[in-house]
Amino acid sequence: MFHFNIYAIPHLLASLLLFSLAIFVFVNNKTSPINKTFALLNICTVIWLFGYFVMFSATNSSVAKVCSKIIYVGVLFIPIVFYHFVISFLEIKNNGFLIRLNYVIGAIFTILLFTTNLITSGLYKYFWGFQTKVGSLHNIYLIFFFILFIRCFILLKKEEKKATSAQMFSKALRIKYIFWPFLISIIASTDFLSKYGIESYPIGFLFMSTFVSITTYAIVKHQLLEIEVIVKKTLVFAGLLASVFAMLVLPTLVIQEYIFGGTGTAGRLWGLAISGTIIILTVRRIENFLIDITDKFLFQKKYDYKELLKTFTDEVLTVLNIDILVNTTVDKLSKIMKIQSCGLLLLNKTKNSYELVASMGLDKEGRDISLGSDNTLASFLRKTKSYLSTKHQGKDSPLPKRIIEDMNKLKLALAIPLIIYDDMIGILTLGNKKSDEDYTQDDMDILLPLARTLSIAISNAIALDELSKTQAEAAQREKMAVIGTLSAGINHEICNPLGIARGQCEAFLLNIKDGLYKDKSMEELFDKAQKIMEKVIHETDRATAITKRLSSFAKPAKGVISDDVNIKDEVDEVLALVGYELKLDKIDIIKDIQEGLPFISGDKKQLQEVFFNLIRNAAQAIKEKGKIIIRAREDGGNVIIDIEDTGHGIPEDKLDQIFNPFYTTKDPGKGTGLGLFIVRQVVEKNLGRIFVKSKVNEGTTFTLEFPVAVRAKA
Amino acid sequence: MKKPKIVAIDDEIDFIDMLKDYFELRGYEIEVTSKGVQGIELINNKKPDIVILDLKMPGISGEEVLKLLKSKQSKTKVIFVSAYDDAGKTRARMLDSGAYAYLDKPLNSLKELEDVINRAYSGEEA
Repeated sequence: MFHFNIYAIPHLLASLLLFSLAIFVFVNNKTSPINKTFALLNICTVIWLFGYFVMFSATNSSVAKVCSKIIYVGVLFIPIVFYHFVISFLEIKNNGFLIRLNYVIGAIFTILLFTTNLITSGLYKYFWGFQTKVGSLHNIYLIFFFILFIRCFILLKKEEKKATSAQMFSKALRIKYIFWPFLISIIASTDFLSKYGIESYPIGFLFMSTFVSITTYAIVKHQLLEIEVIVKKTLVFAGLLASVFAMLVLPTLVIQEYIFGGTGTAGRLWGLAISGTIIILTVRRIENFLIDITDKFLFQKKYDYKELLKTFTDEVLTVLNIDILVNTTVDKLSKIMKIQSCGLLLLNKTKNSYELVASMGLDKEGRDISLGSDNTLASFLRKTKSYLSTKHQGKDSPLPKRIIEDMNKLKLALAIPLIIYDDMIGILTLGNKKSDEDYTQDDMDILLPLARTLSIAISNAIALDELSKTQAEAAQREKMAVIGTLSAGINHEICNPLGIARGQCEAFLLNIKDGLYKDKSMEELFDKAQKIMEKVIHETDRATAITKRLSSFAKPAKGVISDDVNIKDEVDEVLALVGYELKLDKIDIIKDIQEGLPFISGDKKQLQEVFFNLIRNAAQAIKEKGKIIIRAREDGGNVIIDIEDTGHGIPEDKLDQIFNPFYTTKDPGKGTGLGLFIVRQVVEKNLGRIFVKSKVNEGTTFTLEFPVAVRAKA
Repeated sequence: MKKPKIVAIDDEIDFIDMLKDYFELRGYEIEVTSKGVQGIELINNKKPDIVILDLKMPGISGEEVLKLLKSKQSKTKVIFVSAYDDAGKTRARMLDSGAYAYLDKPLNSLKELEDVINRAYSGEEA
C-alpha cells in the first residue's frame, strides 16, 4: 500500500517542523488570538504537507484519493485562516462578519469536496507519485484564494505605512516581518501547477516553512532582528535545500532509470553516491552564489562610499566632544557600512589599557572588555601598526589563542589601530558585514585613511577634554583665592550674628545673676526671654544663610547644568556675598534691572561666578569712592547685562589682552590673572558673549549678552 | 558709683540694640546710632565719656571719628569693637592714634566690654 519514496521525505520533514512550531506558538500564549490563528494556519499547512507525504508514498490509488480529499481540507482553509490571522495580527476591528463569511464559504467548499468531484476529480500519476487532479469548480476556489491574499497584501502594506507615519517603528517592523515572508509564501501556490496536469514537483513546502519560521519568530520574539538579514538567511537556506534536494534526486533518477533499468537497490545506491559527491563538490559554491544574489537584491550590493565619506567629514570628524565623537563614529560606521557590530577602544593612560568606549551590536562580555597593553591583541596591533583581519591572518600564520578569544568577544572581523605620532591611541573594531561579504581591498582603501583622520579627531578631542578639565581646576582655584580675599566680609557676616546671639543670652544670664530682674513679674520675665529667643533665632538664621551661600558658591561646578535663570535673583545672590564689603569700601551699588526680564538658559552657579568676578573686579578698580552700576534689559531676543564701574579704567592698548590667561594689572598676589579668562570661558559655555568698553580714569563697562530662554518668561 | 555716659556708633543695628538693652538696664546712660553723621552730632551734644566705634562704617569711618575727637583734645575715651582683621596693623594704628582699646568683634562677652568701659572711665591704663 505504501513504499519508501524519497520525494515524500521533504514534505514529511516540513510538516513535522511546522507542527512543532504550531505547538510552540500556541503554548507560548494560549489566549492571544494572534497565536491561536497562527497555530491554526500551521495545522492547515501540516494537513496539506503531511498529506502529500502520505499520498506520495501511496502505491494504491484509492488510498491516494482519500489522502487527496483530506489534503484539500487543509488547502481550502489556508487562505481563510491566513486572512483571519492577518486581521488578528493587525488588530483590525469590525471584520467579524467577513471572517465568518469566509469560514462559511470554506465549509461549502469542504462539503462540495467530499460530496462531488467539483473541487477535486481524481488523480495524476507523476514521477514523484500521485497528485490531485482539479475539478471544474477549482478555478472558483483559486479566485477566492487570490482575492483573500491580495486583500491581505493591501492590509499589511497599509498598516505598515500607518505605523511608520505614527512613529510606531516596532509595530512597523513587526508588520514587515510578516509581509516579506508572506510574499515568499505566495510562491508556494506554484504547487497548484501540478494539479492542473503540469508535471512540476511541488516545492511549496520550502516557502511555507520559511514563512512559518519567520512569522513564529516575529510573534514570539519582541526584539526583532533586521528583517533583511532574516529574509536573506532563510532564502539562502531554502535555495540551498532545494538545490541539494534537486541534486540528490536527479542523478539518482537518471542512473536508476537509464543505467539500471528502472528498479533495484543497486541503482539507487549508485545514484546516491554520485549525487552525494556532486553535492559535496558544489554546495559551497551554490551557497556563495545564493548569498551574492540575495545581497544584490536586498542590500543593493555595497554601501555608498560617498555617503560614508560625506557623513564622516560633515558629521563625525568635526565633533569636538570626545564622548559624542566616539559614539557617532560607531553609530554612523555600522549604519552606513551595514555591519553587524562595531566597537571603539581608547587607551586609558592611567590604567595603561585599551577600554571599550563605544559599541554597537556587542553583548555584555564584549562591552566589558579592557585590553591591557600587554594583551596580545593590543600589543599585536601596536607592534604591526597595521590592521588585523580574521579572514587573512587566520590562514597563513595562526594567531595565538588569546587574540582569537578577544576577537570573538569583540565580534570583530577587522581591527584597525588608531595611530598618532607612532602611538596607538585606540582600536577600531568592525564586525562582519550584514551581507556576510568579506572586507575587500576597496573597503580597506577607504577605511584606512578614514581611521587615520579619525585618530587625529580623537586625539584633538581628548586634548580639548583634558584642557577643559585643567581649566575647570584653574577656575576652581581662582574662585577659592577670591573667597580667601573675602574673609573679612565673610567673618563679619557670619561671626557678628553669632556674637550678637551670644550677647543676648549672656546679657539675660548676667541680668538674672546680678538681680536686675528681681522686681519683674514672672510674666515680664517670660516676655523678656521670648524676645531674646526670637533675636537669637534671627541672628543664627542670618549666619546660616550666608554660610549656605558661601558653601554653594565654593563648590566646584559640575559641567553646565542648564536651567531657567532669573538674572535679578543671581545678581542679588552675589551682592549678598560681596555687597557688605563694597559698602564698607564706600562703593555705591546701583541696580537697574528691567521688570519682568525674561529668563535666560544657563547654569546658575556659573553665572553667579561670572557676576561675582566682574563685580569684584569693578570694586578693585575703584580707588576711593565710586559707583558700580548693574543694568539688565531685554533686547532683540537677548538679555543684556552691563556691569559698569567708575574705576581707573583700562588703557586701550591693554583692552584686547584682558581676556588672556595670566594677564593681570593687579599688584602681585592680588590676582592670578585667570579671572577674566575664566569669565569668558564660562560665559561662552552658557551660550553668551562678553564685551568690554573702557576709558582710562572714567571707568569700565563689561557687557554680557545671553539669548532669552526658549521656555518661559519671568 | 557714677556710671559713664556712652555713645555707640555701629551700622549693625542688632549690635547697638543689644548694647543699649544691656547697658541701660545696668544704669548707664547710652545713646546709639547706626549713622556716622548722626553719631558726630550725638558726641557733640551729649559729650559722652566713652565712645564705642566700629572701624568700617558707611558714611564715616571709625578712624575719622577718632581723629576728630583727638583734634578737639576731647577727653572722651574711644573703644573700637570691630571685625576688621589685617593682622593687627589697623589695631596698632588705632591704639597709636589714641584709642583706649580695640576689641574684636564678635565680643568674647558683654561683661568684658563693660569692664573695659569701666576701666577707661576710672582712668586706668588699658
